[in-house]
Amino acid sequence: MKQRIFGIETEYGLLIKDKDFKYGPVDVALQLKDYIFDVGKKGLLDQHYRANDEPPGNGGFLTNGGRIYLDMGHLEYASPECSNLVDLVTYDRGGDMLVQEAVESLGWQDKVAIIKNNVDLETNATFGCHENYLVSRDFKFENRENLRLLSSFLVTRQIFCGAGRIGACNPHPFRDWAEAGVDDSKEEHVDFQISQRADHIPNEFYRWVQYNRAIVNTRDEPLSDPGRFRRVHLLVGDSNMNEFSNALKMGTTILMMDLIEIGAGRAEWILEDAVGTMRKISRDPSFKWEITLSNGKPSTALELQWEIMETAKKHLAGSGYETDWILTEWESVLNDLSKGGPEAVLDRVDWAAKYWMLNEFRKEEDLPWHDPWLKSLDLEYHNLNKNDGLFWGLEENGDARRKTSDEAVERSMLTAPRGTRASGRGELVKSLLECPASYLIDWIGFRLNKDEPFLMLDPFVSYKDEIKEIVGRLDIREPAHGDGIEP
Amino acid sequence: MSDPLRREEKKDAPSEKRDDGPKKPDVSSPGKDNILKRMRKVDPKQSEKYKQRTGE
Repeated sequence: MKQRIFGIETEYGLLIKDKDFKYGPVDVALQLKDYIFDVGKKGLLDQHYRANDEPPGNGGFLTNGGRIYLDMGHLEYASPECSNLVDLVTYDRGGDMLVQEAVESLGWQDKVAIIKNNVDLETNATFGCHENYLVSRDFKFENRENLRLLSSFLVTRQIFCGAGRIGACNPHPFRDWAEAGVDDSKEEHVDFQISQRADHIPNEFYRWVQYNRAIVNTRDEPLSDPGRFRRVHLLVGDSNMNEFSNALKMGTTILMMDLIEIGAGRAEWILEDAVGTMRKISRDPSFKWEITLSNGKPSTALELQWEIMETAKKHLAGSGYETDWILTEWESVLNDLSKGGPEAVLDRVDWAAKYWMLNEFRKEEDLPWHDPWLKSLDLEYHNLNKNDGLFWGLEENGDARRKTSDEAVERSMLTAPRGTRASGRGELVKSLLECPASYLIDWIGFRLNKDEPFLMLDPFVSYKDEIKEIVGRLDIREPAHGDGIEP
Repeated sequence: MSDPLRREEKKDAPSEKRDDGPKKPDVSSPGKDNILKRMRKVDPKQSEKYKQRTGE
């Protein structure tokens, strides 16, 4: 079975519910971060600059091998490197719970809500959920046909992994060059769409992340041995509340990359206009999701996903338990979407659950889609407070399929996953919490005091024995600020 | 396979549900009432208080 590594970065939204609360969202993010490190002792704050906008103390690594930091005014969590999908959804949720736990420990749960979504429905500010996949350097990322195949998959996968939203981003203020994307000069009325991010992606390929976001982000920053590995870093997806949807999103995407790597992707899957199609699928109120392929043939997102899934079955079935799980559930969700529509998948698909809830509420209260209450309910779906958040009501009722357990999530808040270098990093952070020293820690290694940097270039290796030995001979000497390994 | 994470995955494996075909939620179940109760508690204006910056 092929070895895999996954990771997710989540930027959280922050809602100040109490208008008289003494702090604004940026201050609250800062205080939560400080609480997690200084009081909660969940990790070590950086002692060094990581970038001009990441001064010492801006964030740090956790005992679970992941990272919490401030980025563009948002509190952000990067999961540790995970070798399988169960670990991935467990550690993703572990990050959510670390942040929510800090809110509750500070007694702010009635005043502040952490919202795991990707858009401000009033201003259309957007913030991301970034997916990370480790692939071999043999994956031909510079080949444009490969990128277009990946793009076609990403544009159509939103039918089972979008988080849904009320309304639309009209017009599109994010474009800063005229020829990018499609003509968006006219406003379109949208009640509900299946993706949070579709309106915010104006390009098919690009390497930047803040503006001119692309379906396929082409930044090449492997955070590992660049001769052996590539980290595919995607920002096109929505944050998922449903852990099953999260697993299916990442699982189907890695299988698509496997198909591309073995040359099993087919040119007829390429879309005529990927950027326009992304928005068209997301906004289609009939859920028919019609598309046009680059060869001019009409099809649907469901049919294209079905073809990709069947090809994956042909080439990859039987190669491991996880692969077979992905293939089975991919087929099941496509089958149910085609026969039963949103209501048939609301236990596995966030947008479908949200759509069902909002519709039921609208009927009960006789509200139009554009009523402001609906926007507020949309946000509440993503509230991480289990007593209030609407998603948690579904999970509590047994109407949201699980992929992990609360016990595993609780453990993930403190302990790193096995099978990757995150376990070594987690042990290092735990040791340094007990035995203070000067340190510089990054994804690819660390340096203690003025010793030589220790590199962790192979993400599949834990490095635990070496780290234990290094920590064992630790004594407190002069700080190592000012030089060391690059982030 | 002694990892509790993997044991949980086995426990939740959906194979026994797979042949049921698409199912609609039971909208008369207590689940719907519970969700609607949560929904009615939400401040109708809270979206206006959600002031976020573009991130990444």
